[in-house]
Amino acid sequence: MWCQNLETVGDASILIPGTLLQNEKFTKTILPKHFKHSNFASFVRQLNKYDFHKVRHNEESGESPYGRDAWEFRHPEFRADRKDNLDNIRRKAPAPRKAPPAEDAFPASQQVIVLSESLTATQHQIQALQEQYFELEKTNKLLVSEVVSLQKMVKAQSQAANEVITHLNNVEDRRRNSRHSAQSGPSGQTGQTFHAGSTGFLPDGADEPAPELRRAREILNGVSPDVQADRELERLSMAYNQNGSPADSAGSSSVMFAHPGPGGMPLVHDPLNDPRHMVYPVGQTTGIDPFHADHIHNIPYSRPLSNPAIQAEASAQVTPPLKEQLGSIWRGKKPHILLVEDDKTCARIGSKFLTINDCVVDIARDGLEAVEKVNRDAERFDLIFMDIIMPHLDGVSATAMIRMVAPQVPIVAMTSNIRQEDIQTYFQFGMNDVLAKPFTRDGMVRILRKHLTRMLKDPQSAAGLVGADDPMSQNLAVAGHGPGPPTAASTSAQGYAPANMAAAMAGSMAAAAAAGPQVKFEHTPIQSPSTVSSWHSPGQQMHHPHSTSPTSVDGGNAVAAAGGYMSAVGSAVGPGGMVLTPGGSQQQQQPQQQQRPPPPPPQHPHPHHAHHQQQQQHHAQQHHHPQQAAGGYGGYMPGSHQQVAGAHHMGGLHAVGGGGAAGGDDRPEKRQRLSYGPGPQGYVQ
Amino acid sequence: MRGIDDRSLRQDEQEIDDMPEFGDDVDNELFSQILEMDESEEDRDFSAPLVLNFFEQAEETFAKMQEALNAKNLESLSSLGHFLKGSSATLGFNKIRDGCQIIQQYGHQLNVDGTPETDPAVCLKRIAEALSTVQADTAKLEKVMKKFFSQTE
Repeated sequence: MWCQNLETVGDASILIPGTLLQNEKFTKTILPKHFKHSNFASFVRQLNKYDFHKVRHNEESGESPYGRDAWEFRHPEFRADRKDNLDNIRRKAPAPRKAPPAEDAFPASQQVIVLSESLTATQHQIQALQEQYFELEKTNKLLVSEVVSLQKMVKAQSQAANEVITHLNNVEDRRRNSRHSAQSGPSGQTGQTFHAGSTGFLPDGADEPAPELRRAREILNGVSPDVQADRELERLSMAYNQNGSPADSAGSSSVMFAHPGPGGMPLVHDPLNDPRHMVYPVGQTTGIDPFHADHIHNIPYSRPLSNPAIQAEASAQVTPPLKEQLGSIWRGKKPHILLVEDDKTCARIGSKFLTINDCVVDIARDGLEAVEKVNRDAERFDLIFMDIIMPHLDGVSATAMIRMVAPQVPIVAMTSNIRQEDIQTYFQFGMNDVLAKPFTRDGMVRILRKHLTRMLKDPQSAAGLVGADDPMSQNLAVAGHGPGPPTAASTSAQGYAPANMAAAMAGSMAAAAAAGPQVKFEHTPIQSPSTVSSWHSPGQQMHHPHSTSPTSVDGGNAVAAAGGYMSAVGSAVGPGGMVLTPGGSQQQQQPQQQQRPPPPPPQHPHPHHAHHQQQQQHHAQQHHHPQQAAGGYGGYMPGSHQQVAGAHHMGGLHAVGGGGAAGGDDRPEKRQRLSYGPGPQGYVQ
Repeated sequence: MRGIDDRSLRQDEQEIDDMPEFGDDVDNELFSQILEMDESEEDRDFSAPLVLNFFEQAEETFAKMQEALNAKNLESLSSLGHFLKGSSATLGFNKIRDGCQIIQQYGHQLNVDGTPETDPAVCLKRIAEALSTVQADTAKLEKVMKKFFSQTE
């Protein structure tokens, strides 16, 4: 169209083949008549776009034949007598956009921060590495302490068992002795061999009725304080990690550190290298938040779809996001994306950005619709973009509900509330990432590449992904198996270790935790004692019902389950078996957790829960009502599920709460945000 | 037409940029990537309806805001503000976005700097002011946009 106009102008012979004359007249008469340009500059710009270039005359070559003021433009294909060539004059493809600033997703108010951020991107990565390293260290320590406590427990158990056996034999002996004092029968000999080596104790009539039994009880009783101490020790060892101050003085920690744990103890933590300060010359006061999601997700060690806490996208900040316009970036199947967005404009733009990147897009107008769509077929979507504030059902609640049927699908929050507390809340409720609003196309592509790495044609370009087999990342996954960012990872780890320590705990503790009215283990392994042969099975079993149908279990059953487990332990063949099974379950868990980004519901009777049970009731009671009042979240979420989520994230919730509760809040959304969960607890990390 | 000298032209050549000048009211970066979604520059079949639709949406929202204002419903004002803030921000219409932010804030009984504003009357007054400002801004931008889109048709 534009070209046709050029032609017309050419006919008007003001435009001599490729040349303009008298541009004042041109501007006044020709432009308005033939083009929709109001000024000459705009017309020139358009000419440039069509690959017309001004002919420059330098001093040597003399003046333009058309006079000094003439603007001469040339196009290789443009000639006055060649109308057919007009087809060859096309608008040039828009020049590649300047590499967008690394953080184009930030609101304008943070533009300054954006600049400094791109400068410190490398430092972020170093820091991230360090954090990962420390997490790993912590995990190691936890594992060691766990092993130690398990060993103690096993020792105590076997001792107690021996005592009981001894006692029974002695009782038998005594009875036999009293009846047949003169003779020693073959059964007596059996008894002797039975408790040979256990104690040198030989019963006589003057002894108390059941000293062994009493001793056995004492031993058993002596164990639980040890476990408590270990729990304490665990916290201490974490404090040790975080503060760099040795805590060996506490109780059995010397045992723990002296113990040749699996893989040894890399005690290389340097207090001077506290990651929070080392690589951040500018510090938080200037607004760079090392734990902002954008950095958190750029930690180079990760498994693409597994652990949201340590997602990798190392080069995204260093190199500009790849723009692949040519062909699909996907290997085979196009990803199916669910875009949950109540705003029509945003939804249209978002879906356009996605379709132009070869995604199949489904739009849900609110959280309810999203939940319905996912419920219809949980496997349908490869990724979900989720607005947070929406009518009917907000994004966080919708995520919590979707997690019940689709525990694995990456869910990315799209929101302008990207402060640390917000982000932690999103993570705690099962979201995997955050895309700041207003979103950009590159931002969306980045998310796609990051979370759908396996569907990419060239997974390598997804940047910095460490292979799935990397033992490092496997271990890391243990440390940070929770959905939280690394800040929360240590709290997750805290929750994690006690979970396994539950194996060493007395059954009463676990049962109490399971029976607690606020701590309903929807997915607690429910198996009759006879079928529980080892810890593997509960661990595995619990995942399957979870992913298919979340069945609710009442407290009574949970108690039964816990009791069942205890009897299983009691009937376990011997000390060896008892040592091995919890360890085995742990190995079983690792891959599962790596593959399951969302927070798994409590997997074991959980001493941590028991510990917090009261607090938790407090939480539930105190916050349930405010929740409903503030945004109705409580009402939307199935009560029991919320409790489970709460239970599981106790540690993390602490981290969410304090920061925002204290201090002035400048965002109105804050009220809603607070109502998502946590409570008055302090900021743990 | 000596006003355009060689230098400014060269600059023009360097900035081969799709963007007409919308001024500070529009985030060119954001808006241009929406324009880029159009399959052809002459026929903006994606951005044109999108933007025109936005203005319809804005108008509806303003009407609702006015209603809420009359009903002194701060909560509703806040959520309406948030709503329009989202789409205006995504389009890069910063001035409208900022106006909506003010409405949202006062709907939550907060000043723009985040400090609480306890007097609902003050909040309503500020919202009324912000609403008329943002309506004017929107009308202005709508004119510019309509001109832009009719030009490229």
